[in-house]
Parts: sequence; structure tokens; C-alpha cells
Amino acid sequence: MTEVLADTAPGESVSLEQVPDDDVRARLLRLGFLDGTVECRHRLRKGPIVLRRNGTEMALGADLAAEIEISRAGADR
Amino acid sequence: MSCHETRDNEVDADETVALVGCPNVGKSVVFGELAEQYVDVSNYPGTTVDTTEAAFGDAKLTDTPGVYGISSFDEEERVTREIVLEADAVVNVVDATQLNRDLFLTLQLLDMGIPTVVALNMMDEAEADGIDIDADALEAELGVPVVPTVAVDGEGIDELRDRVDEARAPESTSIERWFDELPDDVEATRAEKTLLVEGDEPTAERVSTGKVVADGGVPALAETGQREDVYGHRRRRVEDIVGGVLSREERDSSWAERFSDLMLNPLTGTPIALVMLGGIFYFIGVVVAQKIVGFLETIVFGEYYNPVVNNTVESLLPAAGWAEPVEFMLINGNLGLLTITVQYIVGVLLPLVVAFYFVIGILEDSGMLPRLAVLTDRGLNRIGLNGRAIVPMIVGVGCVTMAVITTRMVGNRRERLISTALLGLAVPCSAQLGIIMGLLAGLGLIWWFGYLGVLLVVLGVAGLFLDRTLPGDSTPLVTELPRMRVPRPRNILRKTYNRTKMFLREAIPLFGVTAIAISVLEYVGGFGLIQRALSPVTALVGLPQEFARVLLLGLVRRDFAAAGMTDMAFTTAETFVGLVVITLFVPCILAMVMILKERDAKSALLMWIGSWVVAFGVGGLLAVIL
Repeated sequence: MTEVLADTAPGESVSLEQVPDDDVRARLLRLGFLDGTVECRHRLRKGPIVLRRNGTEMALGADLAAEIEISRAGADR
Repeated sequence: MSCHETRDNEVDADETVALVGCPNVGKSVVFGELAEQYVDVSNYPGTTVDTTEAAFGDAKLTDTPGVYGISSFDEEERVTREIVLEADAVVNVVDATQLNRDLFLTLQLLDMGIPTVVALNMMDEAEADGIDIDADALEAELGVPVVPTVAVDGEGIDELRDRVDEARAPESTSIERWFDELPDDVEATRAEKTLLVEGDEPTAERVSTGKVVADGGVPALAETGQREDVYGHRRRRVEDIVGGVLSREERDSSWAERFSDLMLNPLTGTPIALVMLGGIFYFIGVVVAQKIVGFLETIVFGEYYNPVVNNTVESLLPAAGWAEPVEFMLINGNLGLLTITVQYIVGVLLPLVVAFYFVIGILEDSGMLPRLAVLTDRGLNRIGLNGRAIVPMIVGVGCVTMAVITTRMVGNRRERLISTALLGLAVPCSAQLGIIMGLLAGLGLIWWFGYLGVLLVVLGVAGLFLDRTLPGDSTPLVTELPRMRVPRPRNILRKTYNRTKMFLREAIPLFGVTAIAISVLEYVGGFGLIQRALSPVTALVGLPQEFARVLLLGLVRRDFAAAGMTDMAFTTAETFVGLVVITLFVPCILAMVMILKERDAKSALLMWIGSWVVAFGVGGLLAVIL
């Protein structure tokens, strides 16, 4: 089963693999959030998720986080 | 509605230098430091986005909205794209603490062949974070001048000013490999070609291809497939450059980071937010809206300005019959053009606008706004809004008129409609709230909670209803969280001044016209007619006909309606119903004018009618229950 961004817990590092929305994907790509792993900083219950990469923090709404497929860094040890 | 703003006093110059950068990189501070003499703020034609212009040597300096890249994802980006395409040179302000993020835009400008100078700003914060950037190496990598600056302290600004002349772009960049894939007959500049291969639709629509495009279809040039390749390739170049010029030393997390963490945790963030909102409410709603405005209205205008103007007009106009309507229009006690209208604009609106822009400036510069949006996103999702809509709702309790302006920041057109409608319907403004609280206090605490409960239910139901019925989808929350900082007073004051100036320039003519229209209506006896026509609806909510007068007063100013209630002998239940009705009833004339200005005439009319229906529907229901 594929994992989605909404499943991550604060402190985890994940890679964003599939972002369905074209505009959102382009915006994340521009900011470098699709370049490598990003850290999950906060997750509000049923609410937005806050990601961090190189000191840049982004908040994504819960619906969006439920659509973004991820892979966990080092999950294939 | 604000697009017809004439720009008759714009800066005259042949050359244009545009300031471009991501949001919150200190662009407006750099602008203020570089600007000479004259600064002009106005809406970019056809949009609600403000742009600022100033003289800069022989050239015109234009500030642009903060964007992370040149494309067309939102209105800000479209405005920035237009300005960049027309600019002769660009000063690209880059946040040294966010080099990895900001260089995407820089490389895009260079790919487009736009002559560029890079201001590497916030060098002080980078140093505090343990980030060391070799500016000379960056200059060599990029092939354009790079000037380290600390704009808030004026550091590096002189060098930046001197080097704007050296703005240049590399002869060619690796973007050109994609240009071959464009049709041979495309006539486009390098900048346009770059945007074309990135699938920018407005550019594709503008560039003539000589091909027939099917009706309603996107021109064949705008394929988004390549965008990812181009963006991905550019990101790899960014990573390479950053790897070569930046070294980082680990530091402990700063106070700003720890505070940000507290804000984003609902357990600690909610109380912090509530205390802050309480502070804002106290400042705008009590200190300014009641104390300062009260002083200006009763003392300055009531005792000095209005009597003097009344006497002057009366003594200047002849006693002839034709002069009577003119005199009425100029100095009538409800909305005279020279008396009450001036009082509203200078005595009420001006202090509120200044206070409001001041608070918004602090919230923006400190980085609080997006964090509030994160905290409230989930709740607002349910009524078809995302977290960004929290701002108009907070400001609305201070002053609905002001809040309507902030609906600009909430997302797409649909969300702006929902938030404006909710503001007009169910958010009481502080002026009214003060008097309402006074009246309810006389009835007892239980009525106060009842009042709040009714408003919240109406807000929720109306939001759910609009979310279900309006076509389209609301946008999800996607927002960057800028670093938290202590705002610089000079920057806040500069912003407040510029925005207030622009607001008044647009608002004054509108209020003037409205005042004349209302006065004419009153002079020809329209008010009496309306009062009689309203008697069936006042009967519907079980209130006497005099209540119609309260409603009419409420049109002019919401607090007038609440104040009008105080002299009427109503029973407890009648007072409660009356207060609910005047709260839900259309907002004051200033707010209505602002809704008309920010939305279109049709939406404004629908909101107006909708408020009537809801106000009397809920009032009628309560009258039956109680």
C-alpha cells in the first residue's frame, strides 16, 4: 500500500513522490521540495502538515497531504 | 472595480528597473532605500495587486509582488511577469538564509535573459544562523553582479545603487536546449521562449503561432509536460551552485524557531493566538474605533467642524428657493457632503484605516499570518475556506469595511465571495458590538450567550450553504511559513503610509457619490416611503413599525442602528430579536461601498438581498420561538 504525506509523524524525513495537482507540484518543485527528502515538522490533528527543507517551511492543507504519495527515507534498509 | 484607477501622476522615465524577489526577503525595504523623491502606490491595472513606483536616477523603479518564480499561478505572479517582461533591468533581492529557495527565481530571470543585479540581503541573519556565503564565488557562478546587503540597516545599499548599471544576463544558458522544440515560426523574445517552454498559458496566448486554435482550448504551445523537465533541471543547477558557495555551521535553534514551534502546536498556539487577537481587538475595536473615533466625532466634528461649516454654508448661500436643495445636500444632518461625509472619512475611516494597516503590517512582517492560517485551516475548511480566511474574520470584528479589503488574500474568487458574504452577514463590527453588549448586559448573561450562539449558527450554516451551492472548488492551503522576526517600525510606518494613501485616493470619490445619492433620496422623501414599505417585514419579526427607522439608520452606520434601539421601549424578547436582526442585516454603507469596490455589482446586490432574507428569516423564527 502506498503511503501518503498525511501518514507521517513530526520528525520523520520523507520524499514526496507523487503530487497529483499540477499547480501544487510546480510550486513545490520551484521551492525545492521535490529535490530530496523533506522533514515533517508539525502535523495538526486532521489539519495541515508543516514541512521543512533547508530552512524553508511550507504548510499544506490536510486534503492535499492525503493525496501526496511519499516514500520514507531509509525505509528499504 | 479598482482597475479603472488612472495613473496620471506616474513617474515619467524611459528606463524601468524592477525589484523582484520572493515574499518576505526585504524587497520593500530595499525599495525604500533605493527610491528617490517621489513614491506612488497604485493598483496594477486590471488587478487588486498594489505596486509601488519611485524615481531612481533617470529611471523608474517599480516594486513587484513577492513571488517564488515567474509564471501565472496567481494574480501576484501575473503582475510580476508583466512588469518583468517590460523592465529594462531587474534588481533581484535574495534572502541569504534561503539561498536554495531563492536562486530558482534568479536562474529563471537569467534564463529569460533579463539584465539582473542580485542583492544578497539579510546577510546579518545568515551569519546568525551560521550560514557563510561566498558572494564573489556566487557572482562568478551566476555571471551577474552580486551585492551583499543588510537592507534594514542600509548596509550595501550604496554599492547596490552603483552597480545597477552593470545589470546583465549571460549570453546564453542551458535553457536553450528546449527552445529547439518550439515551432520554427514562433516570434518570441528569449524571455517569452523561456515562459513558453515552461508552459505559461498567458504567454502562449499572446505569442502568435500562425496556427488555428480551437475555441476554448489551450493553445498548443502551452503544454505543461515540459515545465517539470525545465523546472527540475533548473533546481539541479540551483543545488550545484548552492553546494559550491555556501557553507553551514550547525547552531542551536533560535528564539524565532522555538516561538514558531509554539505557535504551530495547537495546545500552545491557540492561547497565544487568542491573546494576540484580544490585543488586536482591543487596539482596533476599543482604542481606535471607540475612543479615538469617539473623540474625533463628538468633540472635533460635533463641537467644532460641523457647526462652523453649517454656519458658513448657511451664510454664503442666498435665501433663494434654488439654494435650499443645494444646502440640504451639502450640510444635511444624515450624510451632508461637507459635514457628515467629511466626518466619516476623516473622523471614522482614516483612524481605522491607519490602525488597521498598522496591525496588518506588523502581522505580515512578523510572520504571524501564515501560522494563524495553519492553526485555523481545519475549521475553515468546513465552510469552504482555507486557513488564510482567518484574517478577514478577525479584522471584521474590528471593522467590516476594512476586513473586506483583506479578503484579497484568501485564495480564489469563490473563497473571496464566501468570506465577503459571511463578513457582510454575520460578523458584527466593534462599533456596533459595544452598544449591543451594553443592551444585552441589561437583559442578562444568558441572552449574551444566546446572541453569540445565534451568530455562530448563522455563520456556520451560511458558510456550509455557500460552500455547497457555489460552483467550483476552494483552494487547499499551500503556504510558506516565513521566519518569525521582530518587525522594524520604519518599514511598518512606510507601508502603513503608502497603503493608507492609496486607499483614501480610491475610497473618497466613492463615498462622495454615495453621500450625494443618499441625500437626494432623503430630500425627495424616499425614506418615509421605504419605512412604510418595510412595515410588513417589521411585522414579520414581531416588532413595531418604528423599528424600520432603526434599520434605515443602520444602513448609514451600524452603530446608529444599535444606538437607535436604546431609546425604544421593547420587551426583553423584542430587544433580543431586534439586536439579532440589526446584526445580520446589511452592513453599513461604508462596508457596502467597499464590497461593491472589491467584488462586482451583481455579487454585492446578491449579498445585500441575502442579508435581508437571512436577517428577517432568522428574526421571524426567533420571534416565533421566544
